[in-house]
Amino acid sequence: MSDQEPVDVLIIGAGAAGAAMAWTLADTRMRILCLEQGDWMDPAKYPSTGMDWEMRRFGDFGLSPNGRGRDEDYPVNDSESPIHVSNFNAVGGSTVLYAAHFPRFHPSDFRVRSLDGVADDWPVDYQTLEPYYNVNDRMMGVAGLAGDPAYPPKDVPLPPVALGPLGETLVSGFEKLGWHWWPSDSAIATEEYEGRAPCINLGPCIMGCAQGAKASTDVTYWPKAVREGIELRTRCRVREITVDENGLADGVIYYDGDGNEQRQKAEIVIVACNGVGTPRLLLNSASKQFPDGLANRSGLVGKNLMFHPYGMVTGVFPEPLEGYKGPTGCCIWSHEFYETDPARDFVRGYSFEMLRGMGPVSTALWGMSSGALPWGAGHHDAYQEIWDRTAGMVIITEDLPEECNQVTLDPELVDSNGIPAPKIHYRMGENSTRMMEHAVARGRDVLEAAGAVRTTTDAPLRPAGWHLMGTARMGNDPETSVVNGWGRSHDVKNLFIIDGSIFVTSAAVNPTNTIQALSLYIGDQIKKNLGNLFD
Amino acid sequence: MASLTDAQQQALGAVLDALIPPRDELAGAGTLGLGDAVEREIDKMAGALDALTDALAALDASTGTGSFVALAESERAAALAAYAEADPGFLPGIIFHTYIAYYQDPRVIVALGLAARPPHPQGYEIAPSDFDALTARVRTREPFFRKP
Repeated sequence: MSDQEPVDVLIIGAGAAGAAMAWTLADTRMRILCLEQGDWMDPAKYPSTGMDWEMRRFGDFGLSPNGRGRDEDYPVNDSESPIHVSNFNAVGGSTVLYAAHFPRFHPSDFRVRSLDGVADDWPVDYQTLEPYYNVNDRMMGVAGLAGDPAYPPKDVPLPPVALGPLGETLVSGFEKLGWHWWPSDSAIATEEYEGRAPCINLGPCIMGCAQGAKASTDVTYWPKAVREGIELRTRCRVREITVDENGLADGVIYYDGDGNEQRQKAEIVIVACNGVGTPRLLLNSASKQFPDGLANRSGLVGKNLMFHPYGMVTGVFPEPLEGYKGPTGCCIWSHEFYETDPARDFVRGYSFEMLRGMGPVSTALWGMSSGALPWGAGHHDAYQEIWDRTAGMVIITEDLPEECNQVTLDPELVDSNGIPAPKIHYRMGENSTRMMEHAVARGRDVLEAAGAVRTTTDAPLRPAGWHLMGTARMGNDPETSVVNGWGRSHDVKNLFIIDGSIFVTSAAVNPTNTIQALSLYIGDQIKKNLGNLFD
Repeated sequence: MASLTDAQQQALGAVLDALIPPRDELAGAGTLGLGDAVEREIDKMAGALDALTDALAALDASTGTGSFVALAESERAAALAAYAEADPGFLPGIIFHTYIAYYQDPRVIVALGLAARPPHPQGYEIAPSDFDALTARVRTREPFFRKP
């Protein structure tokens, strides 16, 4: 094992949270290193640059790390979960593949116990995070429209993404029903923005943006952070966090790109490996002092895993929609059913994220799976009825924390370095199930109001484990939480966790904006408390 | 790597033509030469190509004439449907790979009215929306987020 030169701050993971943290700490002029198990991506090789772009979602740009066959990814045993994990390992992390749908949480999302008597309140609130949301919106370059009555007032740096015939058709459905809708906040440069080229409506944002318009952190935070002197070391997979005789984290052991074991000492360790990778690392860091896993005296590391159970409702419309143009997951949203309504048989709520249409291959495969497209003599006529005539939505339901939903270490499965892989134990709760039934019915309502001649549904959506939350929750009580109100481990005073694993609840929108706002907030707390950080 | 014989490739091509027949100026999926691509994809799964050759032989045998290819084109769909009912594992994988190969083929893309090019670097134009007009009703709604 080789010893690397010690650093002041070691960040593990270069995704959404790690990038924001690296950037915000850069002005401290401490020696800061980030270790990332993936590598820099080459946008020139993203699928949208080739004729086989749609097929690559079944290969090297698939949603599941288990199917991609990349050494940079680690396998996940999710065979016992109805929802499968979708993440990505590279500089930028899962933002390389995310849709860039970029809502904030609502103020009520931080006060779930107080308002609805379920789960727990967060130790931070919307007002505290608001300035960090604002910074993050500027850093990522968020497009949208001010004035949404679903939110407190806020500015949006860039104009909204184009709706096109598809978006305006969907708007007509909400208008007929008198429901809320609004142009989505999207982390997509709709104009040239800080060196990033504007969106040209390629379509497949979820397979990487060859244009560089989508705000993955390899094109937003990281170039700035690297210019500020942060060292980003790629193809470095951390095996475990080590502790000294005082029970403080003193660094990590990792494998470099050649598979060699390396020792990296650090004064502060910050974990940013997402809601599955973080508990995996902490559990793999068990020691004599922490036999149940690092920072796990509460026993809650890995527990309270929350996905957002997704549903999908797709409609077939009578006219062409130009749906193959434009950002896949960014168009309009609806928060009509977001807040708790006592008249319903569930608490909390859900959002609609309207989707664009499909490319030619995806249309055929959707037709095949939905029964809309036969083979043989009727094939072509049936295809003409669905080609460029589909539009729909995903439903994002708020998942409540339950200890039985958890990440453990798989007793057999390992990654390419031989490190134990995570295993997912998950089932949808009763509240989520009732909520999904309500949401699917309302989804059909809006598509039919918009003119859909038929609709299909798929819920819960199996490959939709994009949002990984709750497995190292934050809180003020060390008995019931893993980190405090600013991300510091209750048990290990120089260990911070900054990704979605520290979420107390999940809200009903995509989490990346909140993950990054929280990371920026924690970074500020670290800077403000540098003099007595470990007290 | 195993590969299909000429006769097996011909049979696979006939199956592909039955799945996606010709339309207007466009030939069927087999005649377009997509059998090679389908074979390559199936061969990526261990044992799948052997299963395919066995199934093609069984399909031939099921026709009564001993040859699926020898059937008139008008008879093939019915013969294929009858065989697929008896062997439900036969068609789904072939259909999956055939649809992928067919609908990313430049000739088919053009027939759909699109340019035969990948999305990048040219992208697509979308006409701008009148957001003021579209959002007029929603703008008048009172803020409805809960204030803790």
